[in-house]
Amino acid sequence: HTHISSEASAATMSLDEARSAWAEHESSTRNLALILTEHLRLILHPTQATKMRGDFRTGKRLNIKRIIPYIASSYKRDKIWMRRSIPSKRSYQIMLAIDDSKSMDESDSKSLAFETLALVAKSMSMLEVGEICVLGFGEEVKLAHDFSTPFTSEAGAEVFQSFTFAQSKTNVRKMLAESIELFRAARLKATGSSSELWQLQLIISDGVCEDHPSIRQLVRQAFEERIMVVFVIVDALSRKASTPTQSAAVPNQSILDLQTAEFAKDADGEMQLKMVKYLDTFPFQYYLIVRDVQELPGVLAGALRQWFAEVVESGGD
Amino acid sequence: MSGVNGSAQVKIQLQTKNPELQLPQEIGPILVRTGLKRLELSRLVNNLLEATQPVPLQFLINGQFLRTTIDDFLTQNGISAETTLTVEYVKALIPPQTIASY
Ligand SMILES: [Mg+2]
Repeated sequence: HTHISSEASAATMSLDEARSAWAEHESSTRNLALILTEHLRLILHPTQATKMRGDFRTGKRLNIKRIIPYIASSYKRDKIWMRRSIPSKRSYQIMLAIDDSKSMDESDSKSLAFETLALVAKSMSMLEVGEICVLGFGEEVKLAHDFSTPFTSEAGAEVFQSFTFAQSKTNVRKMLAESIELFRAARLKATGSSSELWQLQLIISDGVCEDHPSIRQLVRQAFEERIMVVFVIVDALSRKASTPTQSAAVPNQSILDLQTAEFAKDADGEMQLKMVKYLDTFPFQYYLIVRDVQELPGVLAGALRQWFAEVVESGGD
Repeated sequence: MSGVNGSAQVKIQLQTKNPELQLPQEIGPILVRTGLKRLELSRLVNNLLEATQPVPLQFLINGQFLRTTIDDFLTQNGISAETTLTVEYVKALIPPQTIASY
């Protein structure tokens, strides 16, 4: 799955530059990483979910529903006790897929993407709950860090080095298809019961992508394979446009204001123009719009909490 | 995929120097299919202007008139569809259709 972009050699950082960039982003997001870690600890650790359950001959609490049958059976059906069930240990595989296309450079989303990467990678490694993988995507998909390698600061620098933000296309469909393959392979390699393995993908991008219907289909497929996909839209342009130094003449640049002009034939075969809000057809169910890395721990935790609740409710626990 | 209904798209920022044809300020970049030509863009701008009497328009990208699809223009000029295109529009000097004689 490793592809080298034709433009990859264009603007890569030296390892020293990458190391200092990583150190800078890691330290600027240190406090946020602690906050995110605390959020995630509460969400990811299964200890909170323990319940009294089961039918035992001895235990901590009586199961009231079993008392009448117990008496009626002349004290033969004596499994009337409940015990605290021991939560199973879950493991996690978390993939960060970062948009390496040229639009990220233009929109000044690069730095926000790197901050997000440093923040999330740091939190995950502090939690010590699982494996991290990093992809870059654009026209091609590049595997920047695989699940089986521990994510150290040196790994962080190497990941930074593999990004150019110069790829001339943003092929989200291809990235999703290859991610699903990577998740399948990683699930097979994972130790222990695969039902206790939770797979999560965070896509970090400016959000502009083509071919929404086929992307939607792949998102559905990922969901069926129990891979959670959260799309983090880094909306750096809105941050830039809102600075007081710029006049009111600067048009809205936020993805929230982006419109798509669609031409379609009507019933009479006439071309009709329709203006559609870009986000109205956005194919990802879980997406967050982040203008500042400070917002990320809160919104990310919110999305994950919602997803875990849904999975637990649907019996996946 | 580069037809009107193809999936390739590009963000454009519409601009004009003509004070009569200014778009409302809140209109930012718009995503369009790269298969569009002058005629569709003209409809788009007239639609945004809410013009009762459509004004025929011509389009300039980097100072060059758009005479092909946006897709062909990008290819010929080596421009990536990842960058926002600034598209300037002017009143068409030559009417797009011959005016019927009277
Ligand atoms: Mg892009």
